[in-house]
Amino acid sequence: MNLIGALDLPTRGQLLLDGIDLASLSSDELAAIRNRKIGFVFQQFNLLARTSALDNVATPLIYSGLPAAERRARAAATLEAMGLGERMGHTPAKLSGGQQQRVAIARALVTDPLILLADEPTGALDSATSEDIMKLFCKLNDDGITVILVTHEPDIAQYAARRVLFRDGKVVEDGPVRDRRRAA
Amino acid sequence: MSLARSIGGAAINIGIALTALRTNLMRSILTALGVMIGVLAVVLAVAVGSGAQVSVENTINQLGSNMALVFPQPDTERDGPSRDVGKLTERDARAIERSVPGVTATAPQLRASIQLSIPARRLGTNGIAVTPGYAIVTNTEVENGRMIAEADVQSAARVIVLGPTVATKLFGNLEPVGQSVRVDKVPFRVIGVLAAKGSSLGTDNDDVALVPLDTGRQRFSTGLTGPDDLAMLFVGFDPAIDLNDAKRDLVRVLRDRYRVRKGDVQPFTVRTTEEFQQQSATVTGVFQAILVAIASISLLVGGIGIMNIMLVSVTERTREIGLRMALGARRRDIRNQFLVEAAVLCMIGGLLGLILAITAAKIFERVAEFPAPIGAPVAIGSILFSAMIGLLFGGYPAIRASRLSPIEALRSE
Repeated sequence: MNLIGALDLPTRGQLLLDGIDLASLSSDELAAIRNRKIGFVFQQFNLLARTSALDNVATPLIYSGLPAAERRARAAATLEAMGLGERMGHTPAKLSGGQQQRVAIARALVTDPLILLADEPTGALDSATSEDIMKLFCKLNDDGITVILVTHEPDIAQYAARRVLFRDGKVVEDGPVRDRRRAA
Repeated sequence: MSLARSIGGAAINIGIALTALRTNLMRSILTALGVMIGVLAVVLAVAVGSGAQVSVENTINQLGSNMALVFPQPDTERDGPSRDVGKLTERDARAIERSVPGVTATAPQLRASIQLSIPARRLGTNGIAVTPGYAIVTNTEVENGRMIAEADVQSAARVIVLGPTVATKLFGNLEPVGQSVRVDKVPFRVIGVLAAKGSSLGTDNDDVALVPLDTGRQRFSTGLTGPDDLAMLFVGFDPAIDLNDAKRDLVRVLRDRYRVRKGDVQPFTVRTTEEFQQQSATVTGVFQAILVAIASISLLVGGIGIMNIMLVSVTERTREIGLRMALGARRRDIRNQFLVEAAVLCMIGGLLGLILAITAAKIFERVAEFPAPIGAPVAIGSILFSAMIGLLFGGYPAIRASRLSPIEALRSE
């Protein structure tokens, strides 16, 4: 997960992301890869406290070097698309878990990444909200974004098209998912 | 373009910094307080130091602008046997007037502490026995009545000119001119009151009383032995004359008179106002430097406070740092964020310190009657210096933050 997210580099072997060998990049170039090509979604949402949903979503665009007006416009548009248009000015403390995770997903999407990396995105959510979030991921996937999701829950894994099963750090199974759950 | 971007980046970082500082408001205030006190101390030290300089310059200017002072003291600045005693006489004064080019007037003087009394009051003051030359050399004028005249000196008249402080203390609202006052129990007539010169360096220049030279010689207990010995001699020069040349001529005349040979200690000391100015500039400069150095210690402590709190802040916000890195922040983005935060904190402290210092200096000037000027360069400098303290002491925490590994940082609780 850290390797795919360009947060860490392999000690052996080669890691190609979008045809680029990550091992050959400087830390600034890796930061740019994380900024442009990857969107992160975390179990604990990792939103900035005391910062509005809009500013949270706009944060990655700061590091893209966009001017303030464009940052706000794109963040607002992404939040609208997540159905959070009404909540842009709210700080995380005033949002429900599901809303917070959707703000976090908006933040991951705002830079138009190739890959969405979700690390236990439903781990802190109840089952109904989890289902909402998974449906959102499915829709995003249908729209053309690669979603890579880590989970311990087999029924969450059922949403995926391809499942790679790890046990004790080793791949024990890798194949398409039968009886895949779909967004209704 | 890149300039616009870096200005934009600074603006974003200031926004982030203000949010972070507001989050821990109490802590931010206390930390800024450290810098505030430091800047207050340094700015006040600079102000008082410059005040001392101004004050000394005023004192010297009040002496008279272009003059030399001659004392009957062996010149200790020269090497040689120190058994020599000082000597200076009225004849020396006349010789100087005759032989040194550019002399406008001489003011031979005797000095003593004297007791003035009227039936209702007693008062001690500084008695100076003078000739008419004194008024010319020292730019002294009378407010009321007249100055000591040549005839008063010739006849050793028992007349006295009072400084305004003495006049007010002794006579209050009463007109002193024409009144009688006892000098060490002998009755004198008040013939004039001096114009006020004010005080400088805590010394009241108006706490004096002038009598004719020969009267002073009869009445003052000066400790001088010779019949025409002097306690001090002021020599006024034409403003167009170079004081260093004038001093050289003056010293040559006196050395001839006392037959001082090369290597001997001369029995007199000559100092020009220019030398006093330079000397006092050096002294007040050192004084100011010491003050500022002491005050800087509190600024240093403030800076260490900044470093401490920034380290705490970096540790507390490790997860935020990891997140920002995951979202695409480069190391330098993280470093700049914390640098700006430290600089903003310091500048807020510096600004408060400056405002407080200006207020304190105003109060000080009123209460202590001592100038404490704070110029624009000092004001602007103190704010810039505060920012520098922030960058300096915030540097290490900021670099530490930027060197965090994104994975480790994200994993921290």
